[in-house]
Amino acid sequence: MGSWPRPSWLIEALRRREEGQLSFEEFNAVADDAVLAAVKYQEDAGLDIVSDGEQRRDNFYSFVVEKLDGIKLMTVAQLLDHVNDRASFEETLRALDVPAFAMRSPVAIGEVRKKKDLAGDELGFLKAHTDRRIKIPLPGPYMLTRSSWFPGLSDSAYPSIEDLGSVVSTILREELLALKEAGADFVQFDEPVLSQVVHGAEGAETFMCAALASRKDPTEELEYAEELMNRTVKGIAGIKTGIHVCRGNWSRKEDVLLKGNYGPLLPYLMEMKVDQLVLEFATPRAGELRVFKEYGTDKELGLGVVNPRSSEVESPASIVKRVREATSYFDPAKIYLNPDCGFGTFAERPVNDAETAFAKLRSISLAAKALREEPMELVAG
Amino acid sequence: MEEIVKEKILNQLDVSKLDQFITDLKSKPDVAKAVNGPWHSRVEWQGGLKAKAYMRTHTASFDEPEGLGATDSAASAHEHVLSAIGACMMTGFVFQATRRGIKIRNCEIALEGSFGDIKNWAGLSDEGTPGYPEIKAKMYVSAEADKKTLEELWNEAWKRSVVAQTVSRGAKIVPEFEAL
Repeated sequence: MGSWPRPSWLIEALRRREEGQLSFEEFNAVADDAVLAAVKYQEDAGLDIVSDGEQRRDNFYSFVVEKLDGIKLMTVAQLLDHVNDRASFEETLRALDVPAFAMRSPVAIGEVRKKKDLAGDELGFLKAHTDRRIKIPLPGPYMLTRSSWFPGLSDSAYPSIEDLGSVVSTILREELLALKEAGADFVQFDEPVLSQVVHGAEGAETFMCAALASRKDPTEELEYAEELMNRTVKGIAGIKTGIHVCRGNWSRKEDVLLKGNYGPLLPYLMEMKVDQLVLEFATPRAGELRVFKEYGTDKELGLGVVNPRSSEVESPASIVKRVREATSYFDPAKIYLNPDCGFGTFAERPVNDAETAFAKLRSISLAAKALREEPMELVAG
Repeated sequence: MEEIVKEKILNQLDVSKLDQFITDLKSKPDVAKAVNGPWHSRVEWQGGLKAKAYMRTHTASFDEPEGLGATDSAASAHEHVLSAIGACMMTGFVFQATRRGIKIRNCEIALEGSFGDIKNWAGLSDEGTPGYPEIKAKMYVSAEADKKTLEELWNEAWKRSVVAQTVSRGAKIVPEFEAL
């Protein structure tokens, strides 16, 4: 699991941090309590692999502005002055029913340099407070590059997106090595925007990636995503790596989220030198598992088995059924069970409450237990 | 002393000036009369379907989409109407929120309207109306107040909006004409 819904007092502290009323250290002290609570929920639910619920982050990628020089957090409202096609942007805002001020993106406005480890503090705190295996989610190199390079704002420091991509993949590679040295078990790179590349409307902008309207054709974009990922992870052993691709997690309205199977992405995902594919499969929007049929792979599958956005809690029996289907394509020992995405991707717009999220994690854990009693080895995370 | 100054600025507005304005409206008939108007706009043709409006020391540009043979160098007049309604309601909302001491973090209004029948505008039909029969306006706000209070302010904002009420009550337009 990645993100966990943040308590109201943490959101208030996040606001105060953004307004400069709390220092980085003061905010982290407040967030410690929220992380401990998020970890306890996961442990009590029976998860084998835990995260810190991304409690210290505003969202899964914009938090990097605290850790990197040369990147500024801008709202979509602020970016409206720089958007190529405001009409399609407006269309997307309306379809999602979100205000432009609530969506934020890191934007490169100068030379990007590491100021602090991206997740070193998160890992250190987790290691001191849990004996479970630890997963650290990081923004993927393509996502971070694409969202941060904005024409008119970034090109003075980075004339092309490739110039920025080179720096971003280097920073993420150094971070991966640092997390490995510090004892992280699993680093997941989040690349949800890849779904937008293949399933988003042509020319439509997305708030996962405000600059995507300037994208090239999908094949070139996917090749570039593969190249950036491999530059980031290739040759690094001793730590598990994964890529997470979903179809958006900003709304409980299923009809506004992207839909389409993983087929168009798989040729590229399979070439990425990561150990695990962390994919959503709990809703019909994600398509069927049979897209894996033509791929013989030694990769692990992080199988999404619960919808993080719904109030209904999936039964362990329904999860078991889905996993059995996955065993047609993956070695059972290489299947890991997950929610489709986090429960609180964006701090101020969680997609579920903690009680429901806990019940869903518990269902996953019970399903894993039931499956372990059969001749299959599964891990819940 | 510094604390007092800080308290008087809220939502980037000088609270004492707002208070003074309300006091003057109540007690000085000349102030209310002056603020009531008349207000003016002078619109000059700029060639093609472009126009420019002059209002006090300000200007606003208008054009039409390329489909009309225009250059789409600025928003259409009817889009300005939507914007004016939203901006006016926002003004009222922020004014009243500030008077009540509510700090606004962010505020946004999304407006939408569709023509009754564009054929009417083009002179191809006398059916329906060329204008917007209905305009949707949705406010998104993040502020330091409970939802009920903010919703009350929003309801007040559109009920007391100069532009929204001008449009929704159908102001009488008095056309005059002079050929030179």
